[in-house]
Amino acid sequence: MLNALRTFSLAAVAAAALATPAFAQAPVKIGVLTPLSPPGDATAGQFIVRGAKMAADEINGQGGVLGGRKIELVVEDDAGTPEKGVAGLRKLASQDRVVAVVGQFHSSVTEAVQTLAEQLKVPVFLTQASAKSLTEKHLTYTFRTHVIDPDRVTLWNKWIMQQGFKRVAILAENTDYGVGLIEETKKQFASMNVKAELKTIIFDRAVVDLTPQLLEIKNWKPDLFINVGIGTPMYLISKQAFDVGLTPATPMLISYDAPSRPEYWKNLGEKGTYATFIVYYHPTMKLTPRGEAFRTRYLEQFKEQPVYGGLNAYAQVMLLADAINAAKSDKPDDIVKALLSTKFTGWNGTITFTRGEGPYWQQWTPPMLFLQYTKENQPFTEAKIIYPPELKTGDLMMAPKR
Amino acid sequence: MDAYLLSQYVLSGLVIGLIYSLMALGITFIYGIMKMINWSMGEFYMVGSYVQYALLATFLGWELWWVALPLSMVSVFLLGVVVQRFLLRPMYVGGIERRDEYATIITIALMVLFRNLAIVVGGPNQFAPRDYARATTLLTLPISGNRMVALVSTVLLLLLFYVLTRKTWLGRAFRGAAQNRVGIQTAGVDVLRLDMLAFGVGVALAAAAGALLAPDFLVYPENGAISTFKGFEIIVIGGLGSLMGSVVGGLLLGLIEALGSVFLSPAYKDLYGFVLLLALLAFRPTGLFGERERTV
Repeated sequence: MLNALRTFSLAAVAAAALATPAFAQAPVKIGVLTPLSPPGDATAGQFIVRGAKMAADEINGQGGVLGGRKIELVVEDDAGTPEKGVAGLRKLASQDRVVAVVGQFHSSVTEAVQTLAEQLKVPVFLTQASAKSLTEKHLTYTFRTHVIDPDRVTLWNKWIMQQGFKRVAILAENTDYGVGLIEETKKQFASMNVKAELKTIIFDRAVVDLTPQLLEIKNWKPDLFINVGIGTPMYLISKQAFDVGLTPATPMLISYDAPSRPEYWKNLGEKGTYATFIVYYHPTMKLTPRGEAFRTRYLEQFKEQPVYGGLNAYAQVMLLADAINAAKSDKPDDIVKALLSTKFTGWNGTITFTRGEGPYWQQWTPPMLFLQYTKENQPFTEAKIIYPPELKTGDLMMAPKR
Repeated sequence: MDAYLLSQYVLSGLVIGLIYSLMALGITFIYGIMKMINWSMGEFYMVGSYVQYALLATFLGWELWWVALPLSMVSVFLLGVVVQRFLLRPMYVGGIERRDEYATIITIALMVLFRNLAIVVGGPNQFAPRDYARATTLLTLPISGNRMVALVSTVLLLLLFYVLTRKTWLGRAFRGAAQNRVGIQTAGVDVLRLDMLAFGVGVALAAAAGALLAPDFLVYPENGAISTFKGFEIIVIGGLGSLMGSVVGGLLLGLIEALGSVFLSPAYKDLYGFVLLLALLAFRPTGLFGERERTV
């Protein structure tokens, strides 16, 4: 009698569990693996998490995916180091059972993460990792919606030729990103027949005193100085280049969009003035309705302009949700098939993933612009677009003599 | 080689070497008294930079950096005293046989703890106090006002430290403890209290370096790593336990890095100090001013 009662009770509990929406509607988990602590660019990671969370909220507010399942984000910190990136991906894939991962920022981390992603069969989205090699390997589970370094170099070489710079110095960190950019610039200087001398110095990313390197560059008398530091090294170079008198007399090009962040002026003050920098988004850009809705909500929520990392992470989670719905499945292999066969709405256009040649494999590239700040504390919205010519709102302004 | 550029490199190396010698002095002073290596020295440097930034950004305003500097040092001194009292003192009063291992484990744990606390309290981002002074020129070297302030302050702190250890009763007690911990107790000195003060003074020197270099090298959870690394390099070059060795070692390290940058490549600046260090270990393992330890 007691046994029969126990069996009946267990059956009733099991039936109730199966019938409840909570069991039937288990969330679809998406991982966000991004730098959230040093030595990674933790600020970038925080913007990426913001964008991804806003996308998840929006999708869940509209009823979720696959007929009512919520999106659940699982955030992991890769700290900008390959070993933590690999540990994070392993946890996301095997413990949290995520269906895909977004948020990759440092190319050196992605290099390690994407190899493991192939083994674990989890799609990984590169949000701001730009090394050419990452998509050049033609991996099945790596997708990128960010610029690649050869395109970045092509653009700055065109700008160098247009401006007529004759001596270009690059100070780059010893990462896949920094070394890759130097190699690509050397290669393209030859292939594009750039009539300028090139001086390159690579430094250890952990070093904080860059005075000797900057003195050597200053004494070489370049007419353009390219700052290839990411996160803290970018700020250290900018500060110390000003202190040794290299900038602002010599124009400085910062290789990515960090100056668009609110912290830029807090960290650099007057030393950040006259810097030119590369961005992939500008507040005056016309966006898709999806991108525009994000921008409006972001401004309401955070009282500041969105930055590209947030926009891109948002778009990646949104397109993943679209892919899951298109695949009618949350299985990674079905999602990959859907990613390759579907057109998605991004933040500023339609995104498709084709298997092109070289690094253009499962790759979608946003636009690139060169902006310049011309006065201290200038808002990002007011930074002039100085390149490319078809979009420019002003010319490169040289700093007055100090 | 351009003599002008050479002079700039040499000056730049000497300036930063002397500033780093503050870290080395702190490490070697603690070692001299307590016979232990403090592996979390860089984290006290980091805490010093955070306290300096917090004081300037919230209470004092950017102009009063010179008020914030001693306050940062005092705060870290007190933190050091607490750490010594509750975490390191048991090493000397309990029946712990392997003191070196105990100290290593405790200070490495502190390193991890402080770094993570910094992330929890201040977030993972970097901060920068406003410049302490306008950029200037030191002979041929264009130098940031901050580094000039750091240089002058370092010289003053070294002089102050010299006076403390040479001209005061406390200094004599410190030197006595460094020579013989048992002997000094027979003279009625409370060596455990002396340890507490020595640890506090040592980490306060690291905090001074952190606070002085904050505008140039920024404030972030891992900013003490390089200065610790340099500090250890300096004490091996100068000789563990030698105060003079810390200063000369700092200057020599800066000079070698500068000359390597000029004649080889600035890209490998940090490698040259290690070449010097290896050469010294091969030919003079005790360092320039270190002495062989005598055991009875």
